[in-house]
Amino acid sequence: MIQHKEQWLEQASRKIKVPAELIAKAFRDELEGSPAMDAPLEIPDIMDITYKYSYGGISRFFRELRDNRKLYGSRCTQCGKVWLPPRINCNECYAPTKWVELGDTAEVMTYTIVYYGTSTFFDKVPYVCAFVKVKGADTLIMQNIFLKDIRTAKVGMKVKIQFKDQRNGDMGDFWYVPADDGHDHV
Amino acid sequence: MNKVAIVGFGTTPFRARWIEKTYYELAYDAAKLALEDAGIDKKEVGGVVYGIYNELFERQFMPDVYVHNYIGMGLKPSVRVATGGATGGAAVFVGWTWIASGLYDIVMVLGVEKATDNYNYTVGHATPETLKAILFSGDMTFENPSGLTAAASYALPLIAHIDRYGSPTQKQMAMVAVKNHKNAMNNPNAQSPKLLSVDDVLGSKMITYPFKFYDNCLYSEGASAVVLASERVARSLSDTPAWITGVGLSLDKAFAGERDDITVFSSSVHAGRDAYKMAGIKEPARELDFAELHDAFTGAEILSYEAFGFCRPGEGGRLIEDGVVEMAGSLPVNPSGGLIGCGHAVGATGVMQTGEAALQVQGRAGKRQVKGARKGLVQSIGGPATAWTAALLVEHIDQVKAKSLIKPPAGSRRKRKKK
Repeated sequence: MIQHKEQWLEQASRKIKVPAELIAKAFRDELEGSPAMDAPLEIPDIMDITYKYSYGGISRFFRELRDNRKLYGSRCTQCGKVWLPPRINCNECYAPTKWVELGDTAEVMTYTIVYYGTSTFFDKVPYVCAFVKVKGADTLIMQNIFLKDIRTAKVGMKVKIQFKDQRNGDMGDFWYVPADDGHDHV
Repeated sequence: MNKVAIVGFGTTPFRARWIEKTYYELAYDAAKLALEDAGIDKKEVGGVVYGIYNELFERQFMPDVYVHNYIGMGLKPSVRVATGGATGGAAVFVGWTWIASGLYDIVMVLGVEKATDNYNYTVGHATPETLKAILFSGDMTFENPSGLTAAASYALPLIAHIDRYGSPTQKQMAMVAVKNHKNAMNNPNAQSPKLLSVDDVLGSKMITYPFKFYDNCLYSEGASAVVLASERVARSLSDTPAWITGVGLSLDKAFAGERDDITVFSSSVHAGRDAYKMAGIKEPARELDFAELHDAFTGAEILSYEAFGFCRPGEGGRLIEDGVVEMAGSLPVNPSGGLIGCGHAVGATGVMQTGEAALQVQGRAGKRQVKGARKGLVQSIGGPATAWTAALLVEHIDQVKAKSLIKPPAGSRRKRKKK
C-alpha cells in the first residue's frame, strides 16, 4: 500500500507533469483499495528529453519562414529538380542545391481528415493533413489545410499559404487555406 | 544459398493489454512455445533476431538486450530489427539470411511489443499516448508537427487512389473489416474476433477519413517466435517443414511526397517482385493459395492486392466483392484474422503472420485451415506512409530427398512429436 498518499501524488505529478487528481483517478485501486501482493503493480512514469536542435544546412528555410514570411525550396544545380521539403544536396545527382523562392499557391494532391488525434493533437480534431504541390516545387509537402467546413476538402483543391502571426521557425509557422477564400483564418 | 525452413512457431495471445507480464516475460513465453514446437533445446539455437518496434512503447531503449538475457541466450549472436510496422517480417527476413548464408543452422526470430503501457491521464486510456509515441516515427521536422497519425499515413495514398480509380469504396473496405474480424473467430490467439455486418462497420465512428472504427486494427501486446532451420536440420526435425522459398525487402522514399506515384504501395510491389522471382512465381493470383497481408487498415489490404499483382491497379475492391479473398474464395487473405482480427502487436505481428503461414502449409492451422494450402505470401508494411515492405513466400514442398542422406545435428532430437 502506498504510504503518505498526498506526498506520493505530489511527487508523481511533478515527475510526469500530470495534475495530481488525474493520477489519483488512474491509481485509485492502488491508493484506496487493497490489491493482492501478486497483483500487477503499475507506476506513473515519463520519458522526456530536451533539445537545442540544429536545422543544419536547411536553417535558412526556417529563418525565411520566421523572419520574412517566405517559403523556399531548393533547386538541384545539376538536374534542376526543386525540392520541398528542401535539402542542400540532390540525392539523385549527388550535387548541391540552391535556394529558390516558391509561390504562395498550391494544389492538394491528397489529404485525410484526422478525427482522433495523438495526445498532442487530441483537442484539435478534426483537422486536415494533406500533401500539397506548391507552385514552383517538384515534390509534395505535408501540411495542414484550414477549412471552414472540413467536409469541403478534396483532391485538386487550390489553396494558398497563410502565415502565423507569432512564428517560431518551424512547420507550424504556416498552413494553407482555400485560394478563393478572402477571409482571415489566423 | 541454403534452403531455409520454419520448423517451430509459438505465440502468446494478442491482447489489448498484458498487465500481468513485461515485454521480456511475454518474449519468454513465445520463445518457450516456439522451441517446444520445434522440438529443440535453446542450446541448439545458433542466434536470435529480435523484432521490436518502439522504444517508447517498451519504456526501454535497446530492449532486445534485456530479452536476450531474460530468455537465457547467453553469448549467442543477436541483432534487433526495427522497421516500424514491418518489424516482424523484416526480422524474419534477416533471420532467413543468417541461415541462407550458411552461417547458422538454427535461428530464432522473436518479435514482441507492449503497446499499451503508455497512458493518457486526461482521457483515461492508452490510445492517444500510443499514437503520440508512434508519431515520433514521422519526420520530426517536416511531418510530426502536422499531427499525422499512423492511420493518416495510410489514408493519404488511399485517398489519392480513390480519387484516381473510384475505389476502394467505403463498402468494399467494410467488407474487408467484416472478413478479418470473422476469420479471427477461428484463431484462439486473436484480440478482436467478431461477427460484424457491413452496416456495423459503416455505422462505426470516423477515426481518420476514410477509416471508420472497424476499418482500423487495434494496438496489441504480445510476442511471437519462429524457429528457422537449414535444410539439413529441418529435414531431421520435421516431415513437413514450411520452406521460405522467396524473400523481398524494400524501403521507399520516406517523404511520400517525393514518390513517383503516391497511389501505389511501391515497396510492396518491389518486395513482392523479389520474393516471387526467388520462388519462381509468375501468376500470383493463380499460384498462391492464401496470403497473410498487413491489414493495419482495410484500405491497405485492398491496395496490397494490387501491389502484389492479385489484380490490376484499381481493381482491388472487386476481389473482396467477388469473394476471392474470403476463406471460401480462391485466394483467402488473412485466414488468421490479420491485424484487424488479431490485433497489431507491432514487432510480433509479422512474426505471427509468418508462423500462421507455416501452420497453413503444414496443415496445422486448425479451424482456420485453408484446404490444400501449399503456397502463401506474407507481407509486413511499416514506416511513414508504407515506406517499408518485407515479403515472404512460405511453401510446402514434398520431400524428394531420402531422409537418410541428411544427418541430424548433434544433440537434437530426431523428430518432433506429432501433435
